[in-house]
Amino acid sequence: MEPNKNPNLENKVMESIKGGQVKLRSRYIFLAEKLGLGSALVLTILLAVLFFSLALFYLQATDNLWYLSFGSRGVNAFLESFPYFLVVALIVLILLSGWILKKSGVFYQRPFTFSAVGLLGVIVFVGTALAFTNLSEKIEDETFNNHQPARFLRPFLSHGLKQRENGAAGKIVEVGDGFINIQTPDCLKRIDLTRMVRPLKEDLVPGMFVLAVGGHDGVVFVALDMRVLGEEDLLMIRRGIHREFGPMNERRPLLPCGSGAKEFRILVE
Amino acid sequence: MPINLTDEELIAEIRAKDKELYSEIIRRYETKLAHYLRKFFRDADQLADVLQEVFIKAYRNLYGFDVKKRFSPWIYRIAHNEALNQIKKHRREGVSLDETEWEIIDEDIDLKKEVDASLLKEKMEECLSKIKEKYREPIILYYFEQKSYEEISDILRLPRNTVGTLIMRGKKMLKEYLLQEMYGAKQKS
Repeated sequence: MEPNKNPNLENKVMESIKGGQVKLRSRYIFLAEKLGLGSALVLTILLAVLFFSLALFYLQATDNLWYLSFGSRGVNAFLESFPYFLVVALIVLILLSGWILKKSGVFYQRPFTFSAVGLLGVIVFVGTALAFTNLSEKIEDETFNNHQPARFLRPFLSHGLKQRENGAAGKIVEVGDGFINIQTPDCLKRIDLTRMVRPLKEDLVPGMFVLAVGGHDGVVFVALDMRVLGEEDLLMIRRGIHREFGPMNERRPLLPCGSGAKEFRILVE
Repeated sequence: MPINLTDEELIAEIRAKDKELYSEIIRRYETKLAHYLRKFFRDADQLADVLQEVFIKAYRNLYGFDVKKRFSPWIYRIAHNEALNQIKKHRREGVSLDETEWEIIDEDIDLKKEVDASLLKEKMEECLSKIKEKYREPIILYYFEQKSYEEISDILRLPRNTVGTLIMRGKKMLKEYLLQEMYGAKQKS
């Protein structure tokens, strides 16, 4: 049962140690490795918490979820306005933090599902708690005002203010016969109301916030259904309009949506 | 000259002042690790090379060892990783058991009554090399290296319950393979 013992092994190993061919790796390398791994873990978890909180903020402050209130007619607009970039980044960060956690081997004596559930719990709990603070709003403000630290988040949030092919959200600035003009976060948009499938319950007046589903006919958005919302329901869009057009009662020259600027001017005039 | 220090105290000494004490670590673990690594490598030269590499790697990384923990699982883990690296390089080899080693595991799965001993040893080696690595490793450590679940958990970086489950399932697979082999062999003869 006794395995063959190699008499030279001890000598060989000790000679290479004494001869200096084999040296102890510095303790600082191990310290740096531990610190690096720990910092990477903390950073990815913090970013995952931040992105979770921003995803909640996006859903709450943009037109995205409201489109579902139109039923099947709003699904395309919902899918179009969904924060894919934000959600994909969140998933990548969660997976990355899980991988680092596993690699660090801190919790290897417990099943990985335990660590995974704990990690998800922390991200969801802290992210939700952050959503109740005004942090996301501050980040939005910093992001769209091009302040350096938050600028990298712009690609994740800017989708909330983009023009949609199948939906439109904004503030009414003019009510005409069979149409309205609304301010959106990046342009002025005409909405054709002549093909609405059901009449609006409320009278439309300038200053109201509206959400419509339908499709584009050139530069004009043809609404099939519309709903009036409070300005608190579309906070990010309201602030986007404010940034683009200035204070509520101060009219700047109107910029029409899309490439058909001339056609739009003709329509407005 | 015997040194009355635990492995962990010895490591602290080696790191702090006396490199030569590492020879005591080699003396303490050479036989144990050779015994363990023989399950992976049949070739004596390859085994010696891997063993030497394990001791060199362990020495280089001594500052990575936490002296508040046990040294034995730490060096076994290095041996385990080195063995896997070598196997990946040179493709898989069979498992080789000592003259009486197969009896240890047979006491647990109890096939003696059904088959003769010489055949059992031969088949045991064959079947052990057939079962998946994730089951084979805990079985080898538990039955042949007499490691506890706790130690296996530290060596393989697996939860203790998982170690238990893998041993149980591996044992069942081994028994099934053995019975299959034995009855197949008997029918042929």
